[in-house]
Amino acid sequence: MDYSINNISYKYSSDGPLVLDNVSLTIPEGSVTAVVGPTGSGKTTLVEVLSGVIPKLISNGELSGEINLGENPVIGVVSQTPENQLFGYGVEDAIAFGVENMGVPEEEISSRIEYVLDLLNLQFLRKRSVAALSGGQRQAVCIASALVMNPNILIMDEPVSSLDPNGKRLIQNVLRQLRADNTTVLIVDNNLDWSVNVVDRVAGMLDGKFIYNGSKEDFIKDESLQKQLGVMIPQEAEIYHAVSKFCPDLAPFYNYDHAVDELDRFFTPVSASSEAAASASDANAILTTHQLNKIFNDGFQGLKDINVSIQEGRVIAIMGQNGSGKTTLLKHLNGLLKPTSGDVRYRGNSTLPLSVAKISKNVILVFQHPEHMLFEQTTAQEVSFAARMQGVTYTDEDVKNILATYNMADDAEVFPVNLPMGKKHLLTILSVLLSTADVVMLDEPTLGMDAFIRSELRSIITNLREQGKSVILISHEIPFVFGVADEAIILDKSVKLFEGTKEELSRRDDIFETIQISLPPVVRLSRRYGFPHICYTVDDFAAEAERMFSGKEADRS
Amino acid sequence: MNMDYLQYVESDSYLNKLDPRTKFVFFVVMAIVTSVVKSLVALIFLGLFLLVIWITSKITKEMLTLLNKLKVLLIFILLLWLVLGIFEEPPVAGGPVFVRTDIGKIHICFDWYDIYKGLVYSLRIYLMIASFFMVLITTNFSEIILGLCRWHIPYSVAFAIGLVFQIIPIVIHELQEIMEAQSSRGLEIEQCSWLVKIKNYMIFSIPLLFRVIEKAQAISLAMHYYKLDFSSKRTSYKTIKATRSDLFFALASAAAVVITLVLLHFFYIPV
Repeated sequence: MDYSINNISYKYSSDGPLVLDNVSLTIPEGSVTAVVGPTGSGKTTLVEVLSGVIPKLISNGELSGEINLGENPVIGVVSQTPENQLFGYGVEDAIAFGVENMGVPEEEISSRIEYVLDLLNLQFLRKRSVAALSGGQRQAVCIASALVMNPNILIMDEPVSSLDPNGKRLIQNVLRQLRADNTTVLIVDNNLDWSVNVVDRVAGMLDGKFIYNGSKEDFIKDESLQKQLGVMIPQEAEIYHAVSKFCPDLAPFYNYDHAVDELDRFFTPVSASSEAAASASDANAILTTHQLNKIFNDGFQGLKDINVSIQEGRVIAIMGQNGSGKTTLLKHLNGLLKPTSGDVRYRGNSTLPLSVAKISKNVILVFQHPEHMLFEQTTAQEVSFAARMQGVTYTDEDVKNILATYNMADDAEVFPVNLPMGKKHLLTILSVLLSTADVVMLDEPTLGMDAFIRSELRSIITNLREQGKSVILISHEIPFVFGVADEAIILDKSVKLFEGTKEELSRRDDIFETIQISLPPVVRLSRRYGFPHICYTVDDFAAEAERMFSGKEADRS
Repeated sequence: MNMDYLQYVESDSYLNKLDPRTKFVFFVVMAIVTSVVKSLVALIFLGLFLLVIWITSKITKEMLTLLNKLKVLLIFILLLWLVLGIFEEPPVAGGPVFVRTDIGKIHICFDWYDIYKGLVYSLRIYLMIASFFMVLITTNFSEIILGLCRWHIPYSVAFAIGLVFQIIPIVIHELQEIMEAQSSRGLEIEQCSWLVKIKNYMIFSIPLLFRVIEKAQAISLAMHYYKLDFSSKRTSYKTIKATRSDLFFALASAAAVVITLVLLHFFYIPV
């Protein structure tokens, strides 16, 4: 049977606005449906209605309409933070928790657990403790714990938002298994990049209404709809939109293999280019590490002989899988961690004797979770937090300008905790702009950001570089990183594998194989077709492709 | 503020394998014995017995870490009894007196008994905390819940206790993250006066409060997703069963308690 909701309207209080406005959706059994839409579009409320949180736990709102999910439906929900929903010390304990609550007999619990562990290829984890798992493994266990309850629908709410590439790959494989098993899955995530190959249907929400409900293929074709919804799509699909503007015969594609099949019809692959890569500029080193080693109390070596040199006015990306030492390195650069041996120097002077707060006047770090930082009563006050802590002189006008520049002027008097996730994250970055620091470090800055807020983040990074400041960022969003960074540092198992320009890095397939991360499609495709230079953004790729395409057309005529 | 030492240590040790109920009873007995026994000889024997368990279970490192964390408290207790005893003559005859003098009308007598009393009280406190700590780091919260349920404690109570053990490390981790995040934005908490430090610590409290509320909301949602209903009968995937190891441990502990009480009888000095 198909599941459906018909004419659902909801408001959290009788005098509040409609958060869901006459919403109807049919979810075919055994399908994978993606619900997309910008922050505040009503996606979370829809999950609350489908999972019964509204009206069971949130009972003071007004709900109307019809929900057809079968008799006594079980709705499994996997949130973006598995730590919050894994009850039990061990993997088996956590998986069994839901079925134990349902009163399922012991023998049946055993057989169900065996089934989901086999289905999701998680047998190797069964005797481990939840705390010892990686982020991706925890999320996979979380999916297993929901699946073992035999849910009518499995809802996955931004399940990969905080995972590294390996974690994402694991969840993609899990999703493929669910698809093959005919499980009905609803993915609520504005990022289609990781799930597009498995999704059947897309439902787009805006201002509490569905403005699109149809096939994935049609959605991928509609660029204006994607922009309207602020949906992150695979870079291959962005390339399709850009290239199809001058190459109308191009068929839609959204993964690398299809992109190659299609683009090969119009562009000729060439053997690897021998073009010399640009080497690192000789700009002034502002921050350096010298033979940095860190051995933690439990004996784990977090950094091994790390020497890096951060140049003035450059954007440097630090990449690697989780546990490679990225955050450990960042915490040494701002003094949160002291090395076991080695040194960190800012403009030639060791920072080791200085407190974190003193170092922050030169090297400032923005953490990945905004909830750890937001403290003030208004957004405007939060913007001036670092300046006040550092005794920097500023005016209200400075604060207003910052908020206006990054489209947050209307939020100036809002309590920061009440802002949507993406804006909270943006605000924590804005809160260091009035600081004196000329090295700004951002740890996973894209977390929770939709396409609109990501473009603001790109502007912040560009503006900081233009002001001569250096920006160091850690991010698993590889296409974003290649779009904004000048240089890169690659860490793997606590060791530095690479330091240099992104041009040099783009030709080092060996490094990407080692760290099991894929180069962005624009880089791979521009190399494949022998473009005069390697492209790092879709716009750049499209411009080069158009030049090449026009040349061929001219030759033909 | 590293508080990782308070967490369960995953291991295949003898203590880890015991039925949680055995360990609960062990802790209760140890708490009573260390409350009653005030003989240094008996306490040293008890300490040696615990040391054997730690070595057998490979948790000596954790117990030494605990000792290190408690050293300020233990030294304070020792000094407190030294200071309180310095104004009195020893109630027991014999033994060395290090200083005996009068300062004005105040009589000072620093003798062996002051040190003895301080050592007895410090050792009692350490052994009591250590026996609790042994149970804490070798019993995970799922086992705690199972153990309590087998004693017919309502599941709602057992779950709440287990949840506390699950949440405490999360809250500690959150606090650490908040402190690091705020100091990274320029909040001074290292090189400043105590007054400024206390004032700045207030800045941690707001995000921590919100994080704890958020966690509580998330857990409450998850309990709903997993259909947790304390009024319904639930089943259990795992069961716990006492084994010969539990019997051996219980007998060894009982023997140690008897010997401790015998030593108390023969080597008792009133404190």
